[in-house]
Formats: sequence, structure tokens, C-alpha cells
Amino acid sequence: MTSRSGVFVCHCGHNIAATVDVKRLADEMGKDDGVVFSKDYVYMCSDPGQKAIIEAVKEHKLDSVVVSCCTPSLHENTFREASQAGGVNQFQCEIANIREQCAWVHKDRDEATAKALKITRSAVRRVRKNEPLTPIGVPVTRRAVVIGGGIAGIQTSLDLANAGIEVVLVEKQATIGGHMLQLSETFPTLDCAQCILSPKMVEVSKHPKITLMVQSEVKSISGFVGNFKVKVHRKAQYVDPELCKLCDDCTPVCPTVTSNEYDAGLTGRRAIHIPFAQAIPASFYLDESACLGLNPVVCGKCMDACTYGAIDYDRKAEDIEIEAGAVVVATGFDLYDVGNMAEYGRGRYPDVLDGIQFERLCSASGPTGGHVLRPSDHKEPKNVVFIQCSGSRDPEQHCTYCSKICCMYTAKHASLYKHHVPDGNAYVFYIDIRSGGKGYEEFVQRAMERDGVVYLRGRVSKVYQSKGKLRVQGVDTLSGKNVEIDADMVVLAQAMVPSKGTADIAKTLKIGRDKDGFLAEAHPKLRPVESVTGGIFLTGAAQAPKDIPETVCQASAAASKVIQLLSKPSLEHSPVVAKVRESHCTGCEMCVDACPYEAIALVNGKAVVNEVLCEGCGTCSGTCVRAAIDVKNVTQLQIFDMISACMGA
Amino acid sequence: MQGRNSTVAEAAVEPRSDKTVEAQAFEPKVVAFLCKWCSSAGSDLAGVSRLQYPPNAIPIQVMCSGSVSPLYILSAFNKGADGVLVSGCHPGDCHYLKGNFYARRRIYLVQKLLKFVGLEPDRFRMSWVSAAEGVKFAEVVGDFVKDLKALGPQRKLKAEH
Amino acid sequence: MVVMEDIRARAKELLESGKVRAVLGYRRSSAGVLAEPAFVTAPEDTAALVLDATCVENLALYLVNEKKRQRAEKTPDTRPLAIVAKGCDSRTINVLLQENYIKRDEVVILGVSCENGGVIDTKKLNRALRGKPATAASFDGNGSVKAVFTGGETAVPAAEVLADRCLECTQAYPSVSDFFFGEKESGRTYNRRFTAVSAVADKGMEERSDFWAGHFDRCIRCYACRAVCPMCYCDECVVDSTNCVVKATTTADEKANRIRWIERSVCPSENAMYHLVRAMHLAGRCTDCGECERVCPVNIPLRLLNTMLEREALEMFEYQPGLDPEQPSLISSFRDGDPNDFIR
Repeated sequence: MTSRSGVFVCHCGHNIAATVDVKRLADEMGKDDGVVFSKDYVYMCSDPGQKAIIEAVKEHKLDSVVVSCCTPSLHENTFREASQAGGVNQFQCEIANIREQCAWVHKDRDEATAKALKITRSAVRRVRKNEPLTPIGVPVTRRAVVIGGGIAGIQTSLDLANAGIEVVLVEKQATIGGHMLQLSETFPTLDCAQCILSPKMVEVSKHPKITLMVQSEVKSISGFVGNFKVKVHRKAQYVDPELCKLCDDCTPVCPTVTSNEYDAGLTGRRAIHIPFAQAIPASFYLDESACLGLNPVVCGKCMDACTYGAIDYDRKAEDIEIEAGAVVVATGFDLYDVGNMAEYGRGRYPDVLDGIQFERLCSASGPTGGHVLRPSDHKEPKNVVFIQCSGSRDPEQHCTYCSKICCMYTAKHASLYKHHVPDGNAYVFYIDIRSGGKGYEEFVQRAMERDGVVYLRGRVSKVYQSKGKLRVQGVDTLSGKNVEIDADMVVLAQAMVPSKGTADIAKTLKIGRDKDGFLAEAHPKLRPVESVTGGIFLTGAAQAPKDIPETVCQASAAASKVIQLLSKPSLEHSPVVAKVRESHCTGCEMCVDACPYEAIALVNGKAVVNEVLCEGCGTCSGTCVRAAIDVKNVTQLQIFDMISACMGA
Repeated sequence: MQGRNSTVAEAAVEPRSDKTVEAQAFEPKVVAFLCKWCSSAGSDLAGVSRLQYPPNAIPIQVMCSGSVSPLYILSAFNKGADGVLVSGCHPGDCHYLKGNFYARRRIYLVQKLLKFVGLEPDRFRMSWVSAAEGVKFAEVVGDFVKDLKALGPQRKLKAEH
Repeated sequence: MVVMEDIRARAKELLESGKVRAVLGYRRSSAGVLAEPAFVTAPEDTAALVLDATCVENLALYLVNEKKRQRAEKTPDTRPLAIVAKGCDSRTINVLLQENYIKRDEVVILGVSCENGGVIDTKKLNRALRGKPATAASFDGNGSVKAVFTGGETAVPAAEVLADRCLECTQAYPSVSDFFFGEKESGRTYNRRFTAVSAVADKGMEERSDFWAGHFDRCIRCYACRAVCPMCYCDECVVDSTNCVVKATTTADEKANRIRWIERSVCPSENAMYHLVRAMHLAGRCTDCGECERVCPVNIPLRLLNTMLEREALEMFEYQPGLDPEQPSLISSFRDGDPNDFIR
């Protein structure tokens, strides 16, 4: 127990002093047991304030410090460093929050001062029983696992690899590239998506520091920041990418046909297929779920057809454990299912498409060779209606939020349609036009003025099939008239929702999601690429709807955070961890069961805490009926003293 | 069972025996166990927003609501608390993954036990307050103090000196 | 039907073979109607073992006491103890196994089924006999208890004299045992689970408050309840500042700074604190052997505190202590569906 505590009461200008009588507080505290120094200062966090701590510690030979000021989340580190500089162990410095939890929320000076006195006294009683502690040094694994191989995951991987950090890029599908690979052109430049993405994909495949694992999913994770163990399950690789020469002798002989997810369901594919011509890894892939049977007795035609012997039905799935210091989650988005849109046909009409399907129609490598044709009869549509905000901005029925990119890609789709079918009519129903990026507003204006897209401000209440056409019932609020269009095709700008993989990975990694299912960032303004869990970072559309420039930006941001984390040879783990009192422990294992981090184990009949895994939450201490386990510097004895102080004793 | 509680002495000195006056003179003492990551942060937000609430609740910041042992709650009453508040992260949002689930179960049992032996159940309250819920925190404390004023001083578990 | 000779024979065999170091059972006592615990080490002494309606003690307590005694020995006899265990006793053993206080191979369980009987409550028997001291009591096979007293005998309906916990019991046989005696009855005749505690819980708040205040007032802090409870095996009781564990490694600081959660003074608030903390520490661990209530010298209905929490554990968390030695404890587990409505 310390005997020479110093109390420093901060005025915080008027913030505290206007309500709390800081001089009286300092005076009263000076009379307390074990307090040998007690003074008030105008601004403790300023340079002179911190110097005051250092000097007081030295001059009065203080062995513990309490600073009564603002919330510890702001300046605990500041004052701990000052105490340490003066000669007091940083963990023997505690903060009494008399601003946010006292001066700012009460008006009566006497009442606020009485409460501030109790809060300060509570902190002093506690700090007197604090032990000096040293942060625990933990070695760091200089490797990162990036989950998701879309543009976000690709960018993060390249940035990390170029900084000299080993990367394992884990992708669920057979190729990296994500949704961006499905796009035809990108706004506002109308660059060909594959042309700008392919070089990056190839760079990933060639980079010596990047290990690419496709057809793989993260199944579990253990450990903690700097020292994760990530278990990845890789599906059986029936086609060896090293041997596959992309000759395409196999697909003509494959007897099965299934829906082609890469063409957003607009075409079929065989069980053995290559997702895109630009797929990385550049290899064909055998889809087990569509295959008749990996048994030469049942089929075996593709294996027979392959002259390079690249196909082997005996390959097995693998479970691989990777040690990593950091994990980046870039699992991306999906579009809100058209089947949810009761007003627009519930996905029953083949000519009512979502944005990605329209992209495939426009794409030269798509199902129609780049011609905009109706999926139902392959005729060229002469009247196309584009509906923005489909599923977005609709708290009553669908998603509450704005999906951010739809205004821009709808303008793009309408422009592309007019380029393909100059004599066609393009109508866009909108609520607002959100075109804030560089060159975006000009792009939309060009769609309206140069390409002749007709913009109607109003919503569409219903789309239904009538006499071979799609009747669109909407309104134009600027003229005040109802509008009915007999369209040949309708394109819905469906809301961006977090991908299914995002929900799965969030559960596996135990990171939070927000109310809409997007990954939760640690702070909405100041920490946009970090999850609350140390060492796990977020990036891309999995965190919130965004376009490609923003995604690339955020991907590099996540990489920079990982680089910071892994730049030191070791990390410092907080020493405020649980400790067992062996004399009282009976080995009942209640703490072992309760620990959220599995940091406690039974050794020779007594509980033992792994200090590196322990996060200091105290669940063990709250569970133990024998007071045999406590968190250092937050012991039951200290809480007991704090309760007494709160009661005014 | 009555200790030398100053508020009770005050009431005795007042010539009026009006119950409302006695209730107004009585200021409940509340101990509030707030988890650092959610509830204490929510309380800080209430401060930043300059929301006003009664000063009766003295906060004790714990790392996690899961670290609150039933013994702390009983001890707070024993030391004279008129009300005890335990506040943590919403289920599923615990910074330490699961601590609040254990708290929920344990505190349910303590609450039932206190009610069983005749301590007014309204004296003990648990809440989920997230770091973004400054308004809720102020409301929880305000409501609690108001309800406690109606209940009067806690005598059943308060230690005699 | 439990055949006593079978139990005696098994006990004798275990001792003769040297497989166990002693057999914990019951024998007739010269001091009243109840049987007393017997610690039998000689095979011939197994003849004195009895099992009837007067065998109320929870012998699992002695497993705990033996464990503590052995810790002090330099070369303890590591052979297992055999123990005669009724259903309720075996549930205690299961919790001790669950908490690793004893290992499975340290105990040989001679499980006995109470079938449709149980054990008597001497206070109820005294009332039924109108104060005449009973010298013997046994089931007559017809749903009554034959009570013998000086000057005669009488038959009393079992439901009037059986212990509350027997009336409320739902499984009158051990779920875990090495040897089993009797029949596993699937349904109990009485079927009154939690009736005693419901009767108090259903009272109004003021009435309940007075009820408990009245009881806690009488507590003399003799700690008999704690001494007889097999679950109170902690070397240092959290609530009792005098019962302190001091070892060679205990620092002066530790000795000086013991938490005094409650005062030793015998006063209603401190008495209430003691009982409430004890009840919380037993939540999910107490298997309702009823001994605490039986040994209380001032007749505090302690069982009610523990069964109240047991009822909550069952109804709210589907948790039953003592049925499965592998389950986690009540307070170190949770379900997503745990009650949330009481939280603001």
C-alpha cells in the first residue's frame, strides 16, 4: 500500500472550476489518509501542468498519483507518462473523472463538489493499492491475412507486400477480382474495368510476398493482436493451376449446365469452367456441386479430354493454419435481391435487371457480346427505364440508408445504353442526384445533355408485365404529372448490402456489425478502418457502401494501419491482467469456463492465467466465489474501498 | 435496524410530518458500476452533450459488467446505498465478447434474491447503455433517482455503526 | 426394494478386498431417532450399517472433510472412499466432481434409491407425536411411517412427516453410481417441487420482508449451516473475516488488508448479508440436501433461500445442479435466451 499519494485537481479552465470548487476539493483531499500533496491547477494536460506532476513527484517523493480531471479516455496516457517521467510507475497513476461525469452534468456547486470529492477519494483509495506493473512484451508475426480478393483486398495486399510484409490473400471464389471484374466500364472515366483491374490482379499473382489462396475460407481464428492463428479451409483443387494450359478442351465435353454466377445468372456454364478470361489464378476450375460425380465410372469426360493431365478427381480439401500479426477484412458487398421488390415484379420478369446484370450485358465478354439485348427474346430494347434508390432510402420496407453509388452508375448505364442504341430512349427515375466525387457532377450532366437521357424526378410505384411490355408507373414531381412508360427493359439500382461472406466472417472473427450488417468501425470519424478488436482491420464495401476510388483509398489506409502495427519487433500488451491467489483456488474451473479469451487453464489443480491472452476484463473475478482470482490493480479489495468512498465513508 | 442516517435525522427535526417534504429532503445515495467501454463512455457522452441529471449516483468504472460480482452489489447496500446501478454493453456488443452475458445471468439471480427477502426490487437496476447513448444514460440515472426518492432510505441491509 | 443385506455385503467385500480405505454409511445412534454417519474400516463392522427413513445426513460432507484431512498427511492412503449415497447425496457428489474437488476414481458410489420413500423431518415427527420423543421410525410399506416412542407406537401418513425436500424431490435415485441398490422409480407420489418456496414467494412484499427480517433477527452466526454444507468447502470463507487462510507465502500486506465484506457483529443487517452472500455462492451448486435448515439451532428456513435460486435456475436457465458432472457451472455459462426484460 502506498503512503505518499499526490492529488492534482484540474480546473480545465472554466469547464470544471465553474461548477466544482476545485480549491476546496484540493484542500479536502490533502487531509486524506496517505495523501501528502494536493493542489489545483488551471490546465493539467498542458505542458506546465504535466511538468507540475513531474516536479511534485520528485520534490515530495510521491509514490502514487491521482489526477482529477476529464475522462481517462482523453488523457490517462498523458498523465501516466508524466508520472513515469517523474519516477512513479505509470500504473500507479489513476484518473478521477470529475468533468464529463460530474462538472458538466450537474449545476449545484455544493452537490457537484461533494460528488467530485467522493470520486477523487475513490480514486485515491484505489491507487494506494495499485502495484507497479510493466507492459508485457509480445513478439509480432510479420504477416497479414487479407480476407476477400476484390479490389479492396487486392489493393491492401499489394500495399502490404510492397512494404515488405508477407500477405496471404484468402478468396472464397475461384478467381480474385470480385464484383469489379464483372463491370464493363467504370465512372466517371468509362475506363474498361478489366483493363484497369487485370494488371493489379496479375501483380498479385506474381508478387513474391503474396500467397494467393482461392476457393478458400477462413474457418476460425485464435490468438490476439500480433499473434493470430488463422485456420483456412481450401476446397479440393481438382484442376491443377500449374498444369492447366487454358486450352478449353474440357468445357465442350462436360454434360452438365448450371447457372453462371459470374454473369449474374444471365447465362449458364459447365461444371468445369473458367470464371473469366482474365481470371487469376489463370486456370479452369471444377465446381463440385454442379459436377455429376468425381468418379470416372459416372462421368470423367473432362479428365479424358485434358491432354495435360491437369485434372485429378482424387484431390482433397485442406485445412491450413496460418500465423499472422494482423487480419484485414475486405469481403465486399452484394446487391439487394430483386426478389425482395414486390412492386417491381419480385424478380419474375426476365427483362427487369439489377445493375450487375446490366453490366454483363454491356460487357464485351458478357452473355450478349456487349450488345444490350433483352434476356427474354434477345431483341434490342428501344425503351429502357432506370429506377434509382431501389431498395435504398426506404426505412419502411427495405434498407434505410443511401447506397451512394447508384446515382453515378445509373447515369453510366443510361449513357452506355444510349451509346449502344442511339435511337433508343433512356428514362431515369430519381429522388436526388448524389454526384459528389471528382468529375462526377460533370458526368451526370453529360448523360443528360449530351447523351439525351431523360431524368424524371419521382418514384416508380409499380412495374408489371402487360402485352409483352413492362409497364412502368411513376410520377414526375417537377411537372406534377403521372408518368406511364411501356418499357422493353427496366434496370433497378438495387441497394448495396454487405455480402453474405461478411456476415459469416464477422461471426468467425467476433467483430461487430452495425445495424445494417456492415462491419462496425472502431470510431465512425477517427478510426474508419479499425475494428474494435486489436489487429483486425476493415476495408471496402463490407464496411459501408462506396465506389472504387474510395475503396482503393480505404484499402491503402488499412494497409497503412497494418504496417504501423507490424513495424515494431514486439508489441506491448497491457499488464492489467488477471492473477490467481493459489492459496484460495480449489481448481473448480468456473473461471476457465467463463473466460471469453480462454486465457485460463488448470495446471496441477490450480488455475493459471496466460498473461498474453488475458485482456483484463475481470469476468473471472466476478465469477469466482472464493475471491481466488483478481485483475491486477482492479482487485476486489480496491473495489471494496471504492464503494466505501462512494458512500462517503 | 436504523443507523444514524443524517437524512433521517433531518426529517425528524423538521416540524412538518408531511411525507412529500420528507421525500424531498431525502437524497438517495446511488453507486453506479459502469463498464469502461460502453456505459462509462455513454456517461462521458452525456457529459460532452451537457445533459443534466441528478448528482446522486457516484460512478465506479469497471472494465466489464461481467466483472461485477454479486458481492459488490450486496456490499454497496450494506454500506448504505439506497440504490445500485450496474450498466454494461448491449448483448452482442461486449468489448470483451461475452462478459455482459454472464453479468446478465448473475445479476438476474441477485435481483431475484433481493426481491425474495423483501428488498424493494426497484432499488437495484441494470441497464444496457452503449457509448453512443448519452441521452439514455442521463434518463436511466434521472429515472432511478426519482424512483428511489419515492422509496425512501434503504434500511434492510444497511450496516449499523 | 432396497435389500440392506446387499449393501452390507458389497461394503464388506470392498473392505475385504482392500479396494477402498473406508465405507461411509449410516448406523443406529444412541442419541435420538436419527441415524448417525458411520466411518467403517473393519469389514465386520459393516453389519452395523443401516438404511432407513432416519438416514437424513448428507454423507458427501465427509468426502470433503476427508479430503481436507488428507492434505495435511505426508503419505495419505490414496485408495478411494466408498459412500452410501441417496439421490440427493449423489447430486452433491456430482457437483463436487464437476468442480474437480474430488476425482471420479477417488470415490466408489453405492447408490441407493429412495423409491417412493425418503427421510423424515424430526420437527414434523415431533409435531405428529405431540411431543413424545420417538426412538425409532421406519416406513411400513403402506405409505405410512411407523414411529416408535416410549410407551407405544403409531403410524403416521408419510406425507406428514417426510422432509420437505423429499416431498419436493423429482429424482429419488442417483444418476451416477458404481453400484445401484433398489428400483429407479420414474414418478414420485408427492410431486410437490418448489411448493415450500412458492408459498413464501407468493406473499406480498411487506409480508415477505417481515418474514425474513424476523428470521435473520434470530441468527446467532454460529455458522452451523456453513459447517454442514458440503459445498462450503472453501478454506477461507469470503464473508467471514476471521476464517483466514495464512500460509508461508502470505505477505504482511495481505494479512493487514483483508476485505471485511461484513462485520462479525450479530445484527440483522450483517446476518442478512451473510445469508444472502452464501445463497448467491451456492446458486447452481446447492442440491437441496436440506441439512443447513436441519442443523440451524434457531430454525431459520434456510432451504427456502437456496431452493428459490434453484427454481429460478431451472425455470429461467433450464439448469439443474448435480445431474451431470460434466456440465459447466450456472454462473460460468449463459444462453442467448437468458432473461433480458429486467434490464433497461
